[in-house]
Amino acid sequence: MQRNRPPSPQTVNVLLTLAADPARWRYGYDLATEVRLKSGSLYPILVRLADRGLLETSWEAGVGSRPPRHLYRLTGAGREFVAALTAARRDRSAAQPRRRLSEA
Amino acid sequence: MPYFIVFLLTPIGVAIALYRRNPRRFLDGPADDAPQRLLLWAVSLLSPRRAEWGQAMLGELAHLEGRRRRLRFAFGCAGAALIMPPWGRAAVGLGAAIAVTAGSLTLYASLAAHYGLGAGDWIALAVLGIICAGFLLGASALLRRPGIALPGLAGGVFGVVVGLSIAGFTAVDQVSFIPRPWQQWVTVIAVPAAIGAVGTLWRRDPAAGRRVARLAALSAGLLQLLYATVAVAILGGGGPPDQDGGFTVRGTISDRLGNNIVDLVVGTLLIAMVGWAAAALAGRLVRRTPAPAISVREG
Repeated sequence: MQRNRPPSPQTVNVLLTLAADPARWRYGYDLATEVRLKSGSLYPILVRLADRGLLETSWEAGVGSRPPRHLYRLTGAGREFVAALTAARRDRSAAQPRRRLSEA
Repeated sequence: MPYFIVFLLTPIGVAIALYRRNPRRFLDGPADDAPQRLLLWAVSLLSPRRAEWGQAMLGELAHLEGRRRRLRFAFGCAGAALIMPPWGRAAVGLGAAIAVTAGSLTLYASLAAHYGLGAGDWIALAVLGIICAGFLLGASALLRRPGIALPGLAGGVFGVVVGLSIAGFTAVDQVSFIPRPWQQWVTVIAVPAAIGAVGTLWRRDPAAGRRVARLAALSAGLLQLLYATVAVAILGGGGPPDQDGGFTVRGTISDRLGNNIVDLVVGTLLIAMVGWAAAALAGRLVRRTPAPAISVREG
């Protein structure tokens, strides 16, 4: 059974970065640099996202002696997930000032 | 005598074996770079379900420039590969090893606190923690190799049981036993050699035999450490007086705990090295023996 835990801040960061330009394929190292994550943290996140069907992967053919390179972008489900996540965050941030006012 | 043979002759034997395997690599060093070798090793531990991710990490590394950047990337990926699920049945073995280690370290710390041992003993505990962490890391890598976990762990238990059968199972035996020469030959040579040889014959592969010997060495070391630490806890400052004499209760406890650390390191090295040699020798015999006509397909 798959657990649906809320994504970690690092995972959210990766999702938002991928969602910024959802059609573009990205390399693992470039993505790690962009979200300021070490490779040891990024790859487990990518694996989990792919397992949940939120991430699409592809291979770029190797050039010369260099091996093929893995590419990543969000799936349709991934884009919907990010949209829902962003909406939920917006609602939460809108509700928080009201709560603070009522507490006061 | 057996200790002399193992610690003097085994490194020479290992060096000869490495030279015979690849003279150029032995003299000139490895041809491929360190980050790639590290990552190749780590991704080889991934389950077949995650093999694509291992290739992804290797492919990305091949496109990176700069030694420092490559090394950092490879270290991160290797760490991720080492813990990446699924672990299958290997998780049970690792869980058991962690539980045994945690038991030993907790008991050691409790004894150090209870008897008010000095800073040196707490430093020794920290060193022991580092050694045990290295053992667990090594065991985690070996446990994930197909067909290694069961014979490796069984070999470790076998080594400990034989050692205890010879020394005696009581707490007093753990702190006072001095082996006779024939007992040394059994525990230092015969048992580790049997583990390595059986490991090779089990899989008909000397590399598997060497891994079985290493896993057996690590698991036997951790198990023996727990047993010996429990023995110290049972005896406290009691039991037979130390031959050096003049020890206080604190000194006795500290000495016994220190001996356990030395036994852990020496015992593990012995099993690993003798098992390694026996696995290599058994491998030569296996290669000379013709394979059976009907091969069994592995699942």
